[in-house]
Amino acid sequence: MKLLSSLRSLISTLFHHDHIESEMEEELRLHIENRADDLERSGLSRTEAVRQARIEFGGQERFKEEIRDERASRWLETLWTDLRYAARMLRKSPGFTAVALLTLALGIGANTAIFTMMNGLMLHTLPVRDPARLVEILHHYPDEPEPGFNGFLWDDYQAMRGNRVLSDLIIGSLNFCVLSGHGFASQTAFVGNVGGTFFESLGVKPAIGRLIIPQDITDSAPVAVVSWSFWKSRFNLNPAIVGQKIIADDKPLTIVGVAQREFYGLSNQAKQDLWMPFSLGGPISSETGVGLYGYLNPGVTIQQARADLSTLFQASNNRPGADPFMRRSDLRVVPAGHGISTPVTQMLSTPLIVLMATVSLLLLLACANLAGLLMARGASRQHEMAVRVSLGAARSRLLRQNLTESLLLSIIGSAIGIFFAYAATGALVRVFASGRFITDLPVRFDMLRNPDARVLVFTAAIALLTGLLCGLAPAISASNVSPASALLPSAKIGQTKRQRFFGRGLVAAQVALSLVLVSLACLFVSYLSTLRNDLGFERNNLLLVTLDFAQSGYNPAQYSHLSQVLLARLNAVPGVSSATFSEMSPMEGPAASAVAVPEGHPEKQPQIVINNIAPGYFKTYATPFLAGRDFSSRDEVGSRVAIINQTAARDFFGTENPIGKHFTLDHITQTKEPKTFEVIGVVADAKYKDLEQPAPPTIYGNLIREGELGSQLAIRTKLDPASVDAVVRQTESDVFKNVPIVRMMEMNQQIDSTIVPQRLFAALSASFGALGVLLAVVGLYGLLAYAVARRTHEIGVRIALGAERTDVVRIVLRDAVWMICAGLAIGAPLAFWGKRIAASLIPGLPIAGALPIIVAAAVMIAVGLIAAYLPARRAMHVDPLIALRYE
Amino acid sequence: MTNEAQLLPGTLDLLILKAVSLGPLHGYGVLLRIQQVSGRALLIEQGALYPALFRLVRQGLLKATWGTSDNNRRAKFYELTTAGRKRLREEAASWNRLVAAIGSVLGARIEEI
Repeated sequence: MKLLSSLRSLISTLFHHDHIESEMEEELRLHIENRADDLERSGLSRTEAVRQARIEFGGQERFKEEIRDERASRWLETLWTDLRYAARMLRKSPGFTAVALLTLALGIGANTAIFTMMNGLMLHTLPVRDPARLVEILHHYPDEPEPGFNGFLWDDYQAMRGNRVLSDLIIGSLNFCVLSGHGFASQTAFVGNVGGTFFESLGVKPAIGRLIIPQDITDSAPVAVVSWSFWKSRFNLNPAIVGQKIIADDKPLTIVGVAQREFYGLSNQAKQDLWMPFSLGGPISSETGVGLYGYLNPGVTIQQARADLSTLFQASNNRPGADPFMRRSDLRVVPAGHGISTPVTQMLSTPLIVLMATVSLLLLLACANLAGLLMARGASRQHEMAVRVSLGAARSRLLRQNLTESLLLSIIGSAIGIFFAYAATGALVRVFASGRFITDLPVRFDMLRNPDARVLVFTAAIALLTGLLCGLAPAISASNVSPASALLPSAKIGQTKRQRFFGRGLVAAQVALSLVLVSLACLFVSYLSTLRNDLGFERNNLLLVTLDFAQSGYNPAQYSHLSQVLLARLNAVPGVSSATFSEMSPMEGPAASAVAVPEGHPEKQPQIVINNIAPGYFKTYATPFLAGRDFSSRDEVGSRVAIINQTAARDFFGTENPIGKHFTLDHITQTKEPKTFEVIGVVADAKYKDLEQPAPPTIYGNLIREGELGSQLAIRTKLDPASVDAVVRQTESDVFKNVPIVRMMEMNQQIDSTIVPQRLFAALSASFGALGVLLAVVGLYGLLAYAVARRTHEIGVRIALGAERTDVVRIVLRDAVWMICAGLAIGAPLAFWGKRIAASLIPGLPIAGALPIIVAAAVMIAVGLIAAYLPARRAMHVDPLIALRYE
Repeated sequence: MTNEAQLLPGTLDLLILKAVSLGPLHGYGVLLRIQQVSGRALLIEQGALYPALFRLVRQGLLKATWGTSDNNRRAKFYELTTAGRKRLREEAASWNRLVAAIGSVLGARIEEI
């Protein structure tokens, strides 16, 4: 009631401002007239009566002002006045304003950008029924990326259906397919292969037509359901879509309906295009793969669900004929209400958290910097403030006005920052999309650039916080002037001890934060360089060519002959030093793995990765032989031989000589028949699947003996690999008719595509570090220059009294060194702490060593002294005569 | 003039509420009524009346309407709202308690202690 009435009075005063002014005038006039009437009746003349009435009433303007203060809209008018005043002050010093706005826009923009992506990827709630209870089931092999993989066999599904913890076991997995027909020029679509209860369990309704039902699964009906966004972009919301045929991966499908508009699938990474029955690939067998989700029963915790499902999963893995590999994996249940974990979300969430922490440090630094600038500005306006205080301005009024100024800055800054953030998310998404994410599939990020209400609230909140953080202290100190100082010439108003301490503290804080940023940058950059260089093979001048034998019709014998012809011809090309074929190339993607049983050590069953290669592989990749020999043509038939790496040799046979020993691959998923190999060579360790993990135990089989058509051609060049590009294409098409080259890239590119987050860390942290240093230097320089300007008189006196110029320089430099050292002292423990946090989030990041921090400290001291040099020189050249003339 | 008492801070609002409770009044009328009832014993700064009236209106304790005064001038009349009536009762009660308490302190004699 009260709120309503005050709101009404606020609105009415806002809209009837003039009206109210005139009413107020009229009321006061009436009072005076009434009083004059009374006085006239007591015998005064009319003129005298009016005069007397006015005197009795007192100063009308004062009371009018008091009345205006009583009005509800008063604060709004004051705000408007303050805003106009602040805008005028900012316009008056465009240099300061530009620097401040740029600083804020960068700080707020960077925070908004990272938060937008975090929000889209990790915080967005899925548009499904009861998302808080939705869970995803994963299994995790030792040494595989966290948190695991949602892929199970039909038998596992059947076993886990007997659980007592989930209300429904939902089948669905994310995939890509290629669409053709109906105007789709071989376009990749994001699809879900789902079970019959998928839509019903998730509470999704059709927009038109129907969704996938259990009947479709048992019939393996070739039907598909599309998403609203797909319907809109491809069919322009035409209802005739129901009944349309599309071709997905060469299979004709009939579209039976469109899912409701809000539903975009279970992943926050990208909106899905269509869903189809998971049984389309053929009749369901024990080998059919499924992804599994479920709703926790009321009162059941994640831990209970995990325990119950684990028992069932392990029982399923202990059945005869099950993959022994799976026995080592453990089952996990993770919440899925904020989107399921795709390889992409797994790979990007940690980087985003680290980046978020870094950009908030940057924003803090920007705040400290701006606070310093505002403080110095406030000090130069002290005279003005003193005059206003002595004229009767309330301190709270001055405080409010000063705060308005910093808030205006932060609001304009964040408005610019939002544009900046939009561009930055675009750039970041492009960088992310350049990466290869475990599965070699196209990567889409619809949801990552989806600023919603939460992002706006976040930006508004940090804008407000920034404005207060950098404005509060300067505003308090500026409004805390004594009226008497108005009488002094402005040059003589000294800073209070507290103000001086605060100013220096700000610079020290900036130095400390920059130290943290720069040391993190050093850490990430050196880590990246370790990743790129500690490989076990030579990454420069190595060209990778991927061939596609799928349509060629070659058998292994033909392949064997032609590949030797091709390699011989390539070796003869000037500029090529060697060439080889293999099934996989390093860092290409998932590696085949198996469990090995070494001869004489049946108790050891190390997990190994396998690659099949042609002779010359190690020469081309420049991986040294430690013992034994390379493959030759006689290894292509008869008993199997293998080359193993150092780690495998140690894992299999310890210190024994591995040459001539045997090992058996217990189970290879593709063939299911045990294979025994004799070791003929040992090579140095080389990174294979990813750069972060140490080289896995690796065995190399003979490509021809294993009957594989190795599609990875690697060419070691003497010059820039691009120079042999044309001749390689020509030679390849001469030798292998109708075998297309699907990809040609340098090893360096392939390596870089696997370390996108690390490259991003290095690049972004380096630029944040540089920005931090720049801000700190500007802060230090500004404070010293200002101090020297203020102390010109004092310095003049000192010089006139015989101080050496070097003494003067020492005074200024001592100040600078103190601030830098204080900053370093505060920053060093912070940097150590930050490094530990970063190392706990990023596997493989080296934790030991103070080198990054020492390097960062050296950088800070060097640039700090450079920043101090200019003010020191100015102090040295103070002319005592001119300085004293100020008197 | 010596028999006029300075108003205690905060009491002007109470006086206005009381004056208006006896019937709707315009600003000058409020002044006259307070003076009349108090027997001209209270000194009221005339201009200060209006900020107080505005404040009371904003707080929802008074309601203002434009009407015509006795001498046929357009004037703004103030009257109590329900909230104002309630406030007046509370303030008057607490004032009386205060006066009684101060009175008994001031009236104390040494033999009573």
